[in-house]
Amino acid sequence: MRTRTLFTACMIQVIVLCFLFVPGLWAADPIVIGVPTSTGFLEGKECLKSVQMAVEEINKKGGVKVGNENRIFAVESIDIRDAAPGVPVPEALLGLEKIILEKKPTALVVGPFRSEALMAGMDIIAKYKVPLIGTIAMSPASEGKIKENPEKYKYIFRSCLNAKYLVKYLAGTMGFIKAQYGFNKVYIVNQDVAWARATADIVTKVYFAKAGWEVVGHESFPTGTSDFSSALMKVKATGAQVILPIFDMPQSGTLVKQWNSMKIPSLLAGFISPLAGPGAWNTFDKKIGGAINVNFEMGSAISSDKMPLAKAFVESYEKRWGSKLEAGHGPAPSYESVYLLAEAIQRANSLDADAIVAELEKTNREGVMGRVQFDEGHQVVFDMDPDKSAVAAVFQWTEEGKRIIVFPTAVAEGKIELPKGLTAIKQ
Amino acid sequence: MFTGTLIYALINSVILCLIAIGFNLTFGISGIANFAYGAFYILSAYSTWILMHSFNLPYFVSVMGSIILTMVLGALMYQLVLKRVRGQAISEVIATFGIGMAILELFRYLGFVGFEYNLPPFIDSSYMILGTYVDMQRILIVIIGIILVLLLWVFTHNTSLGLAFRGIAQDERTALTFGIDSDKIATLAVSLGAGFAAIAATIIIPLGSIFPSEGYDVLIKALAVCIIGGLGSTGGVIAASFLIGFAERFTDTYIGSHWTMIVSLAAIFIVLVVKPSGLFGKQKELEERI
Repeated sequence: MRTRTLFTACMIQVIVLCFLFVPGLWAADPIVIGVPTSTGFLEGKECLKSVQMAVEEINKKGGVKVGNENRIFAVESIDIRDAAPGVPVPEALLGLEKIILEKKPTALVVGPFRSEALMAGMDIIAKYKVPLIGTIAMSPASEGKIKENPEKYKYIFRSCLNAKYLVKYLAGTMGFIKAQYGFNKVYIVNQDVAWARATADIVTKVYFAKAGWEVVGHESFPTGTSDFSSALMKVKATGAQVILPIFDMPQSGTLVKQWNSMKIPSLLAGFISPLAGPGAWNTFDKKIGGAINVNFEMGSAISSDKMPLAKAFVESYEKRWGSKLEAGHGPAPSYESVYLLAEAIQRANSLDADAIVAELEKTNREGVMGRVQFDEGHQVVFDMDPDKSAVAAVFQWTEEGKRIIVFPTAVAEGKIELPKGLTAIKQ
Repeated sequence: MFTGTLIYALINSVILCLIAIGFNLTFGISGIANFAYGAFYILSAYSTWILMHSFNLPYFVSVMGSIILTMVLGALMYQLVLKRVRGQAISEVIATFGIGMAILELFRYLGFVGFEYNLPPFIDSSYMILGTYVDMQRILIVIIGIILVLLLWVFTHNTSLGLAFRGIAQDERTALTFGIDSDKIATLAVSLGAGFAAIAATIIIPLGSIFPSEGYDVLIKALAVCIIGGLGSTGGVIAASFLIGFAERFTDTYIGSHWTMIVSLAAIFIVLVVKPSGLFGKQKELEERI
């Protein structure tokens, strides 16, 4: 009887010692990264997968060191549905608050699609003091709010392209086309929604009006339009050499197909979201050759041989998930945001929100999109040189179904090919 | 540019006619306003896509399969739901709208959202007509649209089933005395209407892509055409399609594309004020006079 009691006591001691000293058996709780976004949409799905991929990579290397222990990451997501038509902002905010209260995340990444949801959500984030690195919503108004009250809103960051930089890239592309071919007549077609109208107006005001372009026409199409023949006939009649489209509706691919089938002798160069990924070639019946599109971030569905980290990310994504990246906005900054967060936690050596925010502000990292640094509005700086800033990628679909990056020149892989019937003014 | 606008206005009119004719057929015969019509349109497009991509069936087989499936679902909707509420207009609208919403939101919930969901064109080429390039799919839409309208006319005027359809449409009680089973005819009318939605989807969707929200747009367009033309009148649907189709394209070209929607809505408003039963509608003509 005494022997059995002694044996049991010894066993209990061994088990207790195992829990105390064998790593892994007494592991600390994982650091939770929350992903509140519209997971039912392409960008949302691919952003979430990019976050999961970054987390897996970091965990494989042992996680991040906080204090004396290595902590791994865990991802918790919620579909806040703000991208779906008709979903009111308060409903999206309920999802945001739910994930904060129920999953107790150390930080959030990706965030809302719609800028109004982000703007309203900033107060919830400030209330619970959970850092957010947004990767979809683009309105610079959130930066203004941060600058106005930095102490309250310092928890909000954005690692994707914002609307201001989109204008910069569209204007840059137009400037590049003018310099290369001497074109100076443009026809603007945009979706009849606030962000697209504003982008078109700002490009007109800050670039076309000053750079010697003649805007020969400007049309706004209601969301859902599926026949662009009238505008395309006007493009032809006015002799516009360039069409600047700004759309993110699914029907906008029809514009490119009609431009192709009506053989309009103008260069189509701008932003049409369905054209971003490699799948667009088959989606649009191989009829998009010649179209030029801005992908918002390098690494989001496109990479350049000149940027090995972007190439590695795009290839790893395909290997990990068995499908190619298709979203031209979101995945690269989402992946990058996890690394930004991991590095900030490691530098802060703490999970305290204020300490993480202080370290995020000091970010200076060479990553998938180029060099990542935040400005005073907590927006990642985008410019034209990946050694100095993050970059977007402007590419042209070839007639063989390949995407060739043509701008910015630092990462360009080829020259712009003009459509049949359009010749350069300047040789 | 004028000739080009005329050509694309004609195409737009036929597209509107194709979209509305099934809705109108169902209402004209059974008196049921099938608010699940847009959902059937999208359902058939997704079914074709699924049959092609998940079951690797040839395009033509997938198209035929999805048309049959949509027609069967239309018939089932009548037999399982509408039969019980037939004659109660509000209940019919609520039931069909609910079913339509459930179908569309189910596709959204299941993740059928993305640019990859589209159907290929039948023939991939474009031709110059009077100085304007037009793709073959649009030319086919016009040809198929005309053929369908003619077939419908022949069917309703020269077959016993078609005559039974017209009998029910004209006076259900008298038709019953002739031994025409109104439930059977109504089932066929809802099924045939759903079939027309499926045919329209098959030939129109290749111009764009499949999206659940498109179902609501199709329903609104079908309603607009039928309200202007007069619910239940095939001639009215054709006339209204041409009225709206031409108005839209000419507004696009000569006024501005952002006014297009306003023109359609204004047309509905004016017709409702001047002639609430629509241009060729007879449904409430007597009441209007009183």
